[in-house]
Amino acid sequence: MSSNKIDRRDFLRVLGISGAAATLAGCGNTSIESGAELVESYVQPEDFVVPGVGVYYASTCTQCGSGCGIMGRVREGRILKLEGNPKSAISGGKICGLGQAGVQMHYNPDRLTKPMLREGDGLKVVSWDKAMGVLNARLGSKSTLSGQQIAFLTGEISGHQKVLLANFLESFGSTNHVVYDALSPVVGHGANKAVYGVEQPVLQIDKARLILSFGNDFLGTGPSPVRMAAQYARFRKAPRGTLIQIEPRMTLTGANADRWYAIRPGTEGVLALGLAHSLLQHPEFAHSIPQELAAALKPYDKETVAEITGINADAIPHMASLLWEKSPSLVISGPSAEGHVHGFSNATAIHLLNLILDNRGKTLQGQANHPFPQLSPAFGSYTALAQLNQAMSAGKCEALLIMGCNPAFTAPTFVPFANNMGKVPFKVAFTTQLDETSRQCDLVLPILSPLEDFGTHVAGYQPAGVELMIQQPLMEKLYPETRGIGDILIDLLKQRKPDAYKAFPDYYAYLKTAVVKAKPVFKVKESDDDFWEDALRNGVLRLDLPPAPIDARVAAIKVSAPQATEMGMQYPFYFVPSVKADLRDGRHANLPWLQESPDPMTSVAWDSWVEIHPTTATQMQIREGDILEVQSATGSVRAKAYLFPGIQPDTVSMPVGQGHTGYGRYADGIGANPFKILDPNFDEQTGELAMYSTRVIIKKTGENAKMIKDEGPTTLQQGRKLVVTMAADQAELAKEITRVTQ
Amino acid sequence: MSLSNLIKNWSSLRVKRPYEGQYKDKDYKWAMVIDLDACTGCNACTTACYAENNLPVVGKEAFSKGQAMHWIRIERYWGEGDALPKFPERGAQFLPMLCQQCESAPCEVVCPVGATHHTPDGLNSQVYNRCIGSRYCSANCPYKVRYFNWWQYPERAWPNPLEQQLNPDVTVRSKGVMEKCTFCVQRLVEAKNRARTEGRKVEDGEVTTACAQACPTSAITFGNLADSKSQVAKMWERQQIDLAKDKQEKSDENMRGYRIFEDLRTYPSIVYMERIRDLQA
Repeated sequence: MSSNKIDRRDFLRVLGISGAAATLAGCGNTSIESGAELVESYVQPEDFVVPGVGVYYASTCTQCGSGCGIMGRVREGRILKLEGNPKSAISGGKICGLGQAGVQMHYNPDRLTKPMLREGDGLKVVSWDKAMGVLNARLGSKSTLSGQQIAFLTGEISGHQKVLLANFLESFGSTNHVVYDALSPVVGHGANKAVYGVEQPVLQIDKARLILSFGNDFLGTGPSPVRMAAQYARFRKAPRGTLIQIEPRMTLTGANADRWYAIRPGTEGVLALGLAHSLLQHPEFAHSIPQELAAALKPYDKETVAEITGINADAIPHMASLLWEKSPSLVISGPSAEGHVHGFSNATAIHLLNLILDNRGKTLQGQANHPFPQLSPAFGSYTALAQLNQAMSAGKCEALLIMGCNPAFTAPTFVPFANNMGKVPFKVAFTTQLDETSRQCDLVLPILSPLEDFGTHVAGYQPAGVELMIQQPLMEKLYPETRGIGDILIDLLKQRKPDAYKAFPDYYAYLKTAVVKAKPVFKVKESDDDFWEDALRNGVLRLDLPPAPIDARVAAIKVSAPQATEMGMQYPFYFVPSVKADLRDGRHANLPWLQESPDPMTSVAWDSWVEIHPTTATQMQIREGDILEVQSATGSVRAKAYLFPGIQPDTVSMPVGQGHTGYGRYADGIGANPFKILDPNFDEQTGELAMYSTRVIIKKTGENAKMIKDEGPTTLQQGRKLVVTMAADQAELAKEITRVTQ
Repeated sequence: MSLSNLIKNWSSLRVKRPYEGQYKDKDYKWAMVIDLDACTGCNACTTACYAENNLPVVGKEAFSKGQAMHWIRIERYWGEGDALPKFPERGAQFLPMLCQQCESAPCEVVCPVGATHHTPDGLNSQVYNRCIGSRYCSANCPYKVRYFNWWQYPERAWPNPLEQQLNPDVTVRSKGVMEKCTFCVQRLVEAKNRARTEGRKVEDGEVTTACAQACPTSAITFGNLADSKSQVAKMWERQQIDLAKDKQEKSDENMRGYRIFEDLRTYPSIVYMERIRDLQA
């Protein structure tokens, strides 16, 4: 059952490329060097393995949804390190810290190595025959489940895995593929769709002369951080663009801004409308939008806007004049602007600025229409999880399959997903490591790590043309009793639809056939086998397609009279969760490199913390390391106080991703989980969880503990000239020699 | 360096370093440029260093004691002077800090056993099996980029099978030994050997450090300063930085290059380029 049909020699044979073909320097002329004598190794290495020589193979990073092409350095059959694949426009030969840590997911000491089956309260190791027997009995040819009775819950997923999964559900007459992402982009996508007609326009960061970002952390947690960082590098070369960031809590992108403004959470839309109002004073823009919309902007004078947002009144016409001067500009909204009850309207108000400034087609373009939309990812949403939760609660769900998400950890308290799992008779998890959710399942199947498996990926954000990314094993599987998810699905499909799948001995055969079928699209004149080999060797199948146009739907923008948010007496602080670029929603908290990688903003590692503005902390007599209880109407968590100047003074912030209780030695017992104190507020348009709208009260516990952080006793340079800053008008970037070219 | 060699070559070894044209006729002098306007503080470089150089993850407790072993770290500052601004309106000040491979390194002269010394290609090297752990070098380093193995990390940092990730080209250091950034010397040695076998010198761009390779914004440029055609040499020249001077005479004040703590006469091999901010914004 667990036989690995893809022999390593087989695929190495088609991959044979050698990166660093290093030859050891000679140590003088010996009979060996002159060829008179041959040295035979006692140990015969496998094909294409040259002892001491690292060989690079292309694959695709699956640590986030960006779909970066990677190159894995393999030596003596072991994967050692991941680099960027220069052939992929998404990664451009570069890689982020999260991507690097992919090897630690693969070699994680807490990997699940054998199938486990529920027996009473615990999970017991069983054989694959037994596990597949259970699976086939429930979901095999005799299963009568249909429609809502079966659900496949995953994180963001694309490529042929997604297709196989849908086919599997279809065999039950079900389309119940539930995609859940705790950090869902759905509100932003909805607003984009309403204004531009596309869910995710391409941001031409390097083409903008001014970027005005409302909480969009495109350098850290955006849809394609590595690609956007490369564009950002070009944006900063001559003629140097200016970045203005407006957000309640400084993100990594905010830390790189020329000007950073702290805004009262949730008032981003008001500021955007205030800027629009100010822009319309310029004759050039006076007639850029319909009269009735312009009239509706009247109440958004700078004083009113300043009072609501907490941003200096003079800053508003100043920003507007910069937008007017530095064309083309690019105005973008991000999660901290979108995660509110009126998050959707916030985002559309922000997009209005792009329409007034006519950035469409210049810095904002549509993604290319590509020929394989069925491989594009399904984006996760909160509402999908909430619906599934309801079905489970009502006892309508008979079988639940889970892969690539951990709702028991990330779901808010008012979605008692973990409890409702008890009402589902059969729960299966496909995972590389036990987590809070899979521990509650009846059957847990250990799947191959992404570095051991085949796959295809199509990123949701395609920056240029389209790339069908190829994932291939970078080494033989570590544990004999792990299997690829594709192979498991093919096995199940053979039970359900024997005729349709009998031609495919395994997932590899299926994938190869499927990819080769796409050959005509790429207009190459080579044999099917050569096409497949090239795809594996390059790690990417690229199609250069022109960007699609985007719409300008001014009608989508609704303007109502500005309303100040009330300062609640009971819960006086805004609560802004922050997302670390490496831990994300907590799925990577099991990787030691990332736990030990200090947070760029606070330098804290191995912990959670509460960011509070120094002036607020002084008023409340809070010192660094004081353990605070952060209490919302929903729940409370405890963490140490960290005095942080990059935060709006009525706001406190905590990073998500920590606070695990069943995710292995590196994650468990570290910090607290702020997902559990989020209030049940929802975006009124999309119904998504408004993640940034929770209100809290801060209570001192009287305890204090040492901050686990990397920074020294001061956060100031004290005249040491460590990081010297030059004014932009003084720098002569055009005269500089640089590697980054336009 | 044997004692007899030391006595025999005393006069040449007593030359004050660096001196003008020291590397003019040499094959290699490794150097770096870090553009602080491009650096976003994302930590890709630091993780790449962990992967390449077998840096141990020390864990929560050791980290809290300042025992982290990050050969390259990102420092973050909020102000240039002594006063904390109410809001960091111009963003944060990020500084990738790693061994500056000083030409006149304060760490080298205090080592009682010659474990840290200067290589002919201009690296400040650390010989692990000579090191006795006196830690004088670390005390004397103004950049604080030397890291001491307080614990026997090979026993605890790589529980099976994490040890399979270890780079076979790099020693795993044991307790009681000082370590630091090597400019990925294993990559340099491999490239030099390959070039020598092929009867040539290492070409520009043929080898780079793990941090420079990963950096998503290409903020780090690495290369051979002895090769005047290399990117790094051209950048040093345009930025008007002279390796052998402790005070740079710049005819063009608008060139952004500078070296940190130059006035301590450490003659670092890393040029930083000033961060830029649009103060009109």
